[in-house]
Amino acid sequence: MDHVDHVLIVDDDREIRELVGNYLKKNGLLTTVVADGRQMRAFLETTPVDLIVLDLMMPGDDGLVLCRELRAGKHKNTPVLMLTARNDETDRIIGLEMGADDSLVKPFAARELLARINAVLRRTRMLPPNLVVTESGRLLAFGRWRLDTTARHLLDSDGTMVALSGAEYRLLRVFLDHPQRVLNRDQLLNLTQGRDADLFDRSIDLLVSRLRQRLLDDAREPAYIKTVRSEGYVFSLPVEILEAAT
Amino acid sequence: MSLPLRWPRTLASRLSLIFLIGLILAQGLSFGAQYYERYQTAKSAMLGNLETDVSTSVAILDRLPAAERPAWLPKLTRRNYGYLLNEGQPGQPIARDDAPISVSSIEDAIGEAYPLTFIDIPGPQKHYQAHLRLSDGSPLTIDVRPAMMPLSPWLPVVLLGQLALLIGCTWLAVRIAVGPLTRLAQAVETLDPNAHSVRLDEQGPTEVVHAAKAFNAMQDRIAAYLKERMQLLAAISHDLQTPITRMKLRAEFMDEGIEKDKLWSDLGEMEHLVREGVAYARSIHGATEASCRISLDAFLDSLVFDYQDTGQDVQLSGKNAAVIDTRPHALRRVLVNLVDNALKFGGAARIEVQADSKGQLAIQVLDRGPGINEQELAEVLKPFYRVESSRNRETGGTGLGLAIAQQLASAMGGSLTLSNREGGGLCAELRLSRPLTSG
Repeated sequence: MDHVDHVLIVDDDREIRELVGNYLKKNGLLTTVVADGRQMRAFLETTPVDLIVLDLMMPGDDGLVLCRELRAGKHKNTPVLMLTARNDETDRIIGLEMGADDSLVKPFAARELLARINAVLRRTRMLPPNLVVTESGRLLAFGRWRLDTTARHLLDSDGTMVALSGAEYRLLRVFLDHPQRVLNRDQLLNLTQGRDADLFDRSIDLLVSRLRQRLLDDAREPAYIKTVRSEGYVFSLPVEILEAAT
Repeated sequence: MSLPLRWPRTLASRLSLIFLIGLILAQGLSFGAQYYERYQTAKSAMLGNLETDVSTSVAILDRLPAAERPAWLPKLTRRNYGYLLNEGQPGQPIARDDAPISVSSIEDAIGEAYPLTFIDIPGPQKHYQAHLRLSDGSPLTIDVRPAMMPLSPWLPVVLLGQLALLIGCTWLAVRIAVGPLTRLAQAVETLDPNAHSVRLDEQGPTEVVHAAKAFNAMQDRIAAYLKERMQLLAAISHDLQTPITRMKLRAEFMDEGIEKDKLWSDLGEMEHLVREGVAYARSIHGATEASCRISLDAFLDSLVFDYQDTGQDVQLSGKNAAVIDTRPHALRRVLVNLVDNALKFGGAARIEVQADSKGQLAIQVLDRGPGINEQELAEVLKPFYRVESSRNRETGGTGLGLAIAQQLASAMGGSLTLSNREGGGLCAELRLSRPLTSG
């Protein structure tokens, strides 16, 4: 019997939460809608869910407070998708730092929300539990680099920011989430397409070479991403998870 | 009617002129009055002396035997006049009306005893002689060279000192008067309510303090109005987000068809406008983002790759390995807006980076679109301004993209200028201050 994912939607706007709920239900998810943090807590007491969609701007306890609360309690492994009102990096970053797995800016299209929900679910399922790196304001350290997973850029040993394109970031995240494991091109393609799939149409090889350039990795004797002949690529260094210094 | 002499243009020179002319005139008048008075006193004293002296000397010479007279002459000679025992030099007799006063003094002194003839000796200096015959019939000439007592040598020095003092005081007074005005003008000129306000120093004379306070208050008011305007824009834009979200969600339940597509695209347009409105309102307070050191090459590469990955024609040229200290989100937003604009009008965009010798960094976004009329180049940076050709729906935007870019550029301490390229197309140039390091 197939497992049906249960999504809890917390939004103070009745129409929005019902419309979203209906759309997700129509697309095969089990959905529950609640209006605020109090109802959310009450519901979670009795029923575990697979994912929570949280509105950032709510009267009373807002999304950030609730997200932090979830992360601190027994639901710390439940993925959270934050709905923010501002098309602004700061909101997205604050949301991610509070422990949300992804965020979506209002106004959004329901099908986009559905795609994001599926992506988050797939990503958290795919990773072995010990390697799950939630995007919760953490730095991933490897070699002489650190990757800021909220702002999505690299920092070198001097703290200089080295920007990554969307595709580069996604590929690097896949490598860092699976360090020292050989990944073939199909796996890489599959994993990097987890989100914003439409943005991604480059071949993996080109992306890998771009990423090596970004990491100042010598393509003939790469130190970070090594080519495994006729199999794929492997990220050859250990990855350390650092708490962000915020 | 135009004056041949131009009234000087600056307040400082006008004030200096008035002060100097006034003070020098006053000084000259008082000096002249004193000089005249001194002259009068000196003259009457001198003429009194002259009368007694001349009558005594002539009486002595008259009584001396003719042979002893020459020996006495040096003793009787004075600074301005002397005696000659001969007929003197020939010359014009002096007319009565323009005779020097000493003539009448001599006349008064000895005119009754001896008949006198006054002869003017031509020459550069005033010089006349009085001829008379002593009682024994021998001639005597009084040789007079009238002259005032010469001025003391220290007097011109004192006068020059006074002049210097006058000029010094005038300069000081004018500086004190004009300085605050200049500072006020500078402050008004650099007044930018969006940036951090520069407050005038509320110190000095009462009037200056008053003006400075008034200026600072005005600055605060302007900033408050601007803030209010932005808050209004932000609030409206923000509050529209919820209804637009609802409408978009509802639209997704509609049956597929033209109506749904049209509604969808209208909603998209509204959403875009709302986002840009919020972004513009926030760009005014662009100083909120912390700046950090970024590698410019990686930054631009990632931007360009993001475009290329979605199939857009965006190229980058001019690597320079610079590390700059800037606000990455603001910079990204500026460049994205410029590139979007280039793509919209030109279909393709090229980013060129140049670092000039002064350490200024120029990032140009170039397209081969229609460009913008020269007259409109400055206008398009204003919010909600759209060039005529983009007012229609196909290309229409919010009219905020360039305004946001410009606001953010200046909030980052840079500048944004637009120009038309040779051979067609638009060049948007973002200038940033010097990179930290470049290799």
